[in-house]
Amino acid sequence: MTITRRQTGRLLLGAGLAAPLHFTRTAHAQPKAGDELVVGIWGGAQERIVREHVEKALLAKYPGVKISYVLGGTPERRARAYAERGRPSFDLIYLNIFESRQAVKDGVTQAPTDAVPQFANLYDVAKLGGYGVAFNPVTIVYDKRKASKPVTSWQDLWNPEWRGRIAWPSYPGAQGTAGLLMAAKIFGGSENAIDIGFRKIRELKPFAAIQGSQDQLYGMFDQGVADISVEFGSFTRSYAESRNPNIEIANPVEGQAIAMNVACITVGTRNQKLAEEWVNLHLSAPCMLAYAQQIYYSPTVKNLSIPAELQPKLVLGPDVAQLVDFDWDVVIRNQPAWTSRFNREIAG
Amino acid sequence: MTGTPEQRPFFGPILAFPVTFWLLLTFAAPFAVLTLLSLHEYPDPFGPVLQAPSTAQFTAIFGDEFLVRVIIETLLLGAGVTALTVVLGYPLALWLVRLPLKWRPLAFAVILIPLLTNVVVRSLGIVLLLAPDGLINQALGLVGIPPFRQMLYTHGAVALALAQVFMPFMVLALYDVLQGTSPRVHEAAESLGASRIVRVFLVDLPLSLPGLRAGIIIVFLMASTAYVSATLLGGKKVWTTGMLVWQEALQNLNAPMAAALSLVMTVASTLFALAVIWITRHLTPWRSASPSGFRRLPGWIICLLDLFGPTIGKLLLMCSLLLLLLPLVLVVIQSFNDVPQATVAGFRAFTLKWYERVLFGGAYAASFWISVQLAAATAVVAISLALPAAFALARHRFPGLTGLSAFWTLPLSLPHVAIGVGMLKLLQVFTAIPSFLGMLAVHVVLVLPFSITLLQASVEQLDKAQEDAAASLGASAPWRFFLIVMPGLAPGLLAASIMSFLISFGEVTVTSFLTTARMTTLPVRIYAEASFSLEPTVHAVSAILIVGTVILLMMLNQLVRLDRLYAR
Repeated sequence: MTITRRQTGRLLLGAGLAAPLHFTRTAHAQPKAGDELVVGIWGGAQERIVREHVEKALLAKYPGVKISYVLGGTPERRARAYAERGRPSFDLIYLNIFESRQAVKDGVTQAPTDAVPQFANLYDVAKLGGYGVAFNPVTIVYDKRKASKPVTSWQDLWNPEWRGRIAWPSYPGAQGTAGLLMAAKIFGGSENAIDIGFRKIRELKPFAAIQGSQDQLYGMFDQGVADISVEFGSFTRSYAESRNPNIEIANPVEGQAIAMNVACITVGTRNQKLAEEWVNLHLSAPCMLAYAQQIYYSPTVKNLSIPAELQPKLVLGPDVAQLVDFDWDVVIRNQPAWTSRFNREIAG
Repeated sequence: MTGTPEQRPFFGPILAFPVTFWLLLTFAAPFAVLTLLSLHEYPDPFGPVLQAPSTAQFTAIFGDEFLVRVIIETLLLGAGVTALTVVLGYPLALWLVRLPLKWRPLAFAVILIPLLTNVVVRSLGIVLLLAPDGLINQALGLVGIPPFRQMLYTHGAVALALAQVFMPFMVLALYDVLQGTSPRVHEAAESLGASRIVRVFLVDLPLSLPGLRAGIIIVFLMASTAYVSATLLGGKKVWTTGMLVWQEALQNLNAPMAAALSLVMTVASTLFALAVIWITRHLTPWRSASPSGFRRLPGWIICLLDLFGPTIGKLLLMCSLLLLLLPLVLVVIQSFNDVPQATVAGFRAFTLKWYERVLFGGAYAASFWISVQLAAATAVVAISLALPAAFALARHRFPGLTGLSAFWTLPLSLPHVAIGVGMLKLLQVFTAIPSFLGMLAVHVVLVLPFSITLLQASVEQLDKAQEDAAASLGASAPWRFFLIVMPGLAPGLLAASIMSFLISFGEVTVTSFLTTARMTTLPVRIYAEASFSLEPTVHAVSAILIVGTVILLMMLNQLVRLDRLYAR
């Protein structure tokens, strides 16, 4: 959204309201039986993992507290948290990387603090806009039978052999955002000079399709509609292993584009301590490992030993430094304009 | 239900009151918020709703070639879907009324399959049908025709998907009026030398116009607000205003633009609905006791009809049945498929774990019961509000009723996302109400347009002579209502209840804005799963629903007559 002067005033006010939390932190009451923590999260595997590895441990520590889940997609959750700013029905919501940073600026969710012990072990990039809980970078995924040589660079998307076979990811959305920003970057632009990105993507037309989600993309691979796309590497690996061994996840020399799940404690929660305990448990070994093993989401904490056979499938240590990060303020500010341009020039 | 409108002028307003009151209580507020939002100059998620009005959003819409094009394309898509639904649904409805009574529950279940399966599953079916190596191309390959590679991600693919899921609405709207036509009318046509196919066009079609009107309005309004199927099968090459509204409202947090777009679409589609009403009124002059012009088909058309009509009719019937059964086949296979994702095309290994997870996993079962209770309560409330309204529309018209009925169908012509956006601003009020009641209030709003439209057609079809006969025999108004009117309305009530139940049961868009930790309905749970990756549990849910529906309809068939008393 475009930030107007009027909004800036409100944002400052929001930040001002949020600031005192740092000083009052120690005064938060201890969780007691009957307290209810409301968590907004995605369904399916993610709900199952936190129920198993976070909720159980939390209940063991604080008997009698109740955990409730509001399930849904990020857009609805975010829209609702914005509508309820300051008097939230959620104590904790999970967002994506750019939404989480904007939410902190807008005074909807809190910036992370060391009240969560595992905060100290987070990678720096996971300490912004809430507590990063999983890296889930975006890269090129393709059918290796259709490739004359393995894909090693984002430039390879412009190789004529993929002409008419690309399923470009729709914008906005984590994959579409990554695709657009990487296109700009490798051709000399940046988030501040996005034009080249749009022009280069337009050169790739006609697309086999525009894909709107990982499920839709896998369907396209299954049906032979498209052969290459820009997608989360993590879950594509599950797909490749369980269904389609021809699909390869590239590791381009320019790096994979960062994407991250972020746990965000709402401004105004009445269960501050409980929410912080929850986040700490999410960042602890059992939950991080379950995410890594079940859906190949990479850990955001440094103090974790990963089984050797799992290591090549994740983004760890030095690879994390390789992840391409962007100025998300610029990205968020321009999202409406870029959406409009994408709809007209790329998708339409 | 006694007296003519002239004798009881207050009767109409009394009948129209309950539904109007409910909508004022629950729908007027979010609609007003939406209208106010559309008058904001720029988006401000935290600003007050009431601001100095500006036409900036509307100027932006009408000054933007892309947006205008999308609006026009969406309306055309709606019209195309409606036409397709009529062509495919009419033979189906005729087939249904000719079926022996004992087969009807099963046939009903077949027609309802698309409504009982998740949108992702249905879309997968269409993808498998139209893909480059899909069913159609394989069939064409058998007869040596080269494959069409460009069938997916087109307006045609989206239209087919929407026609599939809206067909039940058209068929149910037609079913009641079609089987309400007395066999004596058919005998009369036959004695005048009309073949069966000519009779369909000259007798059944005109007499079923009220049902057709209901079906057309419902399907058009739903098709012009659709966005999930359009996203899944249009592959962003097809744009609908529903998709734009979703994008602006949720991804760009631009509520004013989303609101303005919704209102433009609402006005356009309400005008369409009014035009349909006006046209049917002119095509059915006998309803207002005006003389009907003598119509005669030219001989060559009758020849052509007699020659090709039956074959084309059978072909269309086969196409629609196949289209309806496609998701069933998928569901049956996929619910036993041992794969991690619901959208897999091939069968890998047999498993019962998806059923186990749905039935004994706790979370699914709990959501399922919440959805059943909510849908049942919604159906009961909606029908009891809609029935008086239908009588007002069919028998007790009064000045201003047409305008009022446009208000009643408003919830249908607004994209559900837009209603959700309006509700977001009222979340404080909403969360103060017990969550079940709050959801019920909103679901009833969403269901009312359907039940009113369907029931109006049923009431218009009632045989007034039966009531007059009962009256002449001394039956009082309440007796006549319970002994004559209600049994006559039974099929219509049943159709409307099934529809209401299923719409509420499947609603996800508005509900996902309003869901609370204690009220996770089944579709919201499935949608939440799909927001990450959909698992085959969704197929198991559909399979259980389909089997459940068949059993329920068979039981109902023992208790309620699925046809009108005089139809045999």
